[in-house]
Amino acid sequence: MISLKNFTFSYGSSDEPRLSRVNLDISAGEFVLVCGATGSGKSTLLRALVGLVPHFTGGIASGKRTIDGQDFSTAMPHETAHLIGYVNQQPEGAFVADTVLEELAFALEQLGVPRDQMIERVDAALAATGLTELRNRKLVELSGGQQQRVAIAAALSAGQKILILDEPTSALDPTSAHELLEFIHELCRTQNLTAIIAEHRIERLIDLVDSVIIVNNDATVSHGKPAEQLAKFAFVPPLIELAQELRWQPIEMNIESATKRFAAEFKNQPRKIAHLELGKVLLSAKDVVVDYANLRAVDHVSFEARAGEVIAVMGENGSGKTSLLWALQGQNPSLDEIAMVPQQAADLLFLSSLSDELSDSDEVARAKPTSTASLLEQFTSRLDPAIHPRDLSSGQQLALVLAMQLVKNAPVVLLDEPTRGLDYATKKQVASVIRDLAAAGKCIIFASHDVEFVAQTADRVIQLEAGRVIADEPVEQALGWHSDNALASQIAQISKLPGVIALQQVVGNE
Amino acid sequence: MLQKVAARIHPTTWWLLAIVLAVIAGTASALWQTAAIGALSIALILLFRENATWARSLGFYLTLAAAVIVIRILFRMVFSFSSDEDQILFHLPALTLNLGLGEINLFGNVSLRSIMGAVLDGSRLAAIILAVAIANTLANPKKLLKSAPGALYEIATSVSVAINLAPQLIESFNRVRRARSLRGRSKRTGQLAGILIPVLEDTLDRSLLMAASMDARGFGRRSAQSAGELLAARTLGLAGLVLNLVGIFILLSGFNVALALVLLACGLLSAGIGVRITSKRNARTSIGRTARTGLDFLIYLACTLALVINFSGLVGV
Repeated sequence: MISLKNFTFSYGSSDEPRLSRVNLDISAGEFVLVCGATGSGKSTLLRALVGLVPHFTGGIASGKRTIDGQDFSTAMPHETAHLIGYVNQQPEGAFVADTVLEELAFALEQLGVPRDQMIERVDAALAATGLTELRNRKLVELSGGQQQRVAIAAALSAGQKILILDEPTSALDPTSAHELLEFIHELCRTQNLTAIIAEHRIERLIDLVDSVIIVNNDATVSHGKPAEQLAKFAFVPPLIELAQELRWQPIEMNIESATKRFAAEFKNQPRKIAHLELGKVLLSAKDVVVDYANLRAVDHVSFEARAGEVIAVMGENGSGKTSLLWALQGQNPSLDEIAMVPQQAADLLFLSSLSDELSDSDEVARAKPTSTASLLEQFTSRLDPAIHPRDLSSGQQLALVLAMQLVKNAPVVLLDEPTRGLDYATKKQVASVIRDLAAAGKCIIFASHDVEFVAQTADRVIQLEAGRVIADEPVEQALGWHSDNALASQIAQISKLPGVIALQQVVGNE
Repeated sequence: MLQKVAARIHPTTWWLLAIVLAVIAGTASALWQTAAIGALSIALILLFRENATWARSLGFYLTLAAAVIVIRILFRMVFSFSSDEDQILFHLPALTLNLGLGEINLFGNVSLRSIMGAVLDGSRLAAIILAVAIANTLANPKKLLKSAPGALYEIATSVSVAINLAPQLIESFNRVRRARSLRGRSKRTGQLAGILIPVLEDTLDRSLLMAASMDARGFGRRSAQSAGELLAARTLGLAGLVLNLVGIFILLSGFNVALALVLLACGLLSAGIGVRITSKRNARTSIGRTARTGLDFLIYLACTLALVINFSGLVGV
């Protein structure tokens, strides 16, 4: 259906290629997962398939791109708009209209579809995506999951046969993400849609996809069956990691088969999660309420947090996680007492080089010179001090901001979605940093959708729903195995053992 | 209910209504006329406005209108030209300035007539402002842009996308300002630069994202047009521009009004045909183009009637 032949791309003739001699052939109706480390070039590959690379990025591309047998190597994206639908990472930022109907009609208008046909096609696209009742609604009124669906419907409204999605679920809670991916899978089966989707959280669609493309750090790309591809891949979810650790051959690709195999083969005694001895109360929230114009975002939330404790705040999109964190921060406006890393960490960066940011941070924190730099080195590999902070990857930016906030040495650290867009390796680093901080007697409170990250990191989980606390319990219980627990971690689902949620509880020896 | 009616009215109709009311207000000679137009404008806005960003500016226009009246009155009190025969309202201490250019009298007697004159002048301007507010609060700017001719489509779309982005800019400004406070006070850059740089960065990122997404959805597609057509369109456009300039020059110099009007008409026609030809280049269609309905024509009729009555009244006086 769509293929790349000998495709190479680099930003300048002397630069390292970002994609090197890529050969891909994706057939009609195939559901393809694209994975790779943060910054490996997943997005570049997707954009090359759409034609946005090199037309929107500059740089030099060579090789051949064909769609349905036709050569489109040098075509601009708008020339293939009737063939490919593309949804980028933040669809809400790329809406051109203000109602669902107009948004869906945009591509059809560009393609010159007559008006009566247009309405027919829009209605068909709405019906196919289950959005019919939202037809005349304003886009800003929709939830994140609904907006994502509208973006997909808009990308497919002109009958495009190929759908390319760049991390569609990174901002969605587990339930919305699952529904969205199931829905794309359904389109592939029933409408013979070819879907190519980049995703860090492989566990969300591992048992749905037909094939996996891995973008390696050396800019090469491989394409093959999921089991073969993931058996050797380093950035994998606990399900695959478990199979790799227990040396299962071939690896199990879905929870059900892994569960059977685990029950048959696992005979050891699982370890308990190691919780730290808790110190004194560092933060105490009493009846916290946050009101917006016509919405109560946080509704009488009370809890206490102690030294050495890591608390995860979980809940669906719009349940009040971010508002709660900001309210906690706002209660103690002194930066010496509470440090916070907001969702868009890059908002804190505004100087023109990394070294400026680091030394400014030392000054602001009244810390010894190079204190921030040495903290940063704990989280990432050495970085060029002359680099512009905006040129760092999102993981590196997060690390930098984290270092800047930690150097203030505040006893309480708040993190809002610290793993958004990070690969498993970087997430593990962040997790170990958080555990180290807790061991040093700090209290960490973070908001997250990421069940597997929470399982690795937290001691305690506070669940919010519509601004209220619906559960405040130890992590083993919140993410553990019990019937219809939507938050059960993969290891919990596979092991079905009480209190077992993380990989390190069942593998390795101590 | 009324909001739904308003949404069906063509945006250009609101503009026409606004202009007609502004013209009538500009020629009004009595306070009751300007007051009536002001009241009508406010009533129309309150009854028909939708719940949208552009519709929330009535307060701003009201403040502006009130400020205009107040400033007019204050000015009249400062530069009071009251003669002694008038009924004097109150006395202010008079001040005579001589800056070498003759004497200027400030303050002094303030007469009822001069204040009433100031109120009428001010209310005339205020009524014009409120009339324009009708167009700005009731006409959906995006729909207005959609009714732009095809040749202007790209520009119109850019403007409407920019309108969409404006609230996001405010939102990202607030977000960054809040995040900025987390970092503590830096000596390196001013508070403003620390906020502006991330906001601009954010805006630029968003614009690129938007541009990529729009292109991937077919924005910028055009059908082939022959070189002859292109040449014709450009020549006509240029000719229209020249004719209009010459026409305006002759009109303003008062040399020959009839000639000027003929030139202007030719210029407009030529430019119009040029735009028409270029518009054919777009194979684009539109789902939401608002058609004019009976309601629009009713408003046109009312406007015409109002103008006729207004100007025949003027002539009669």
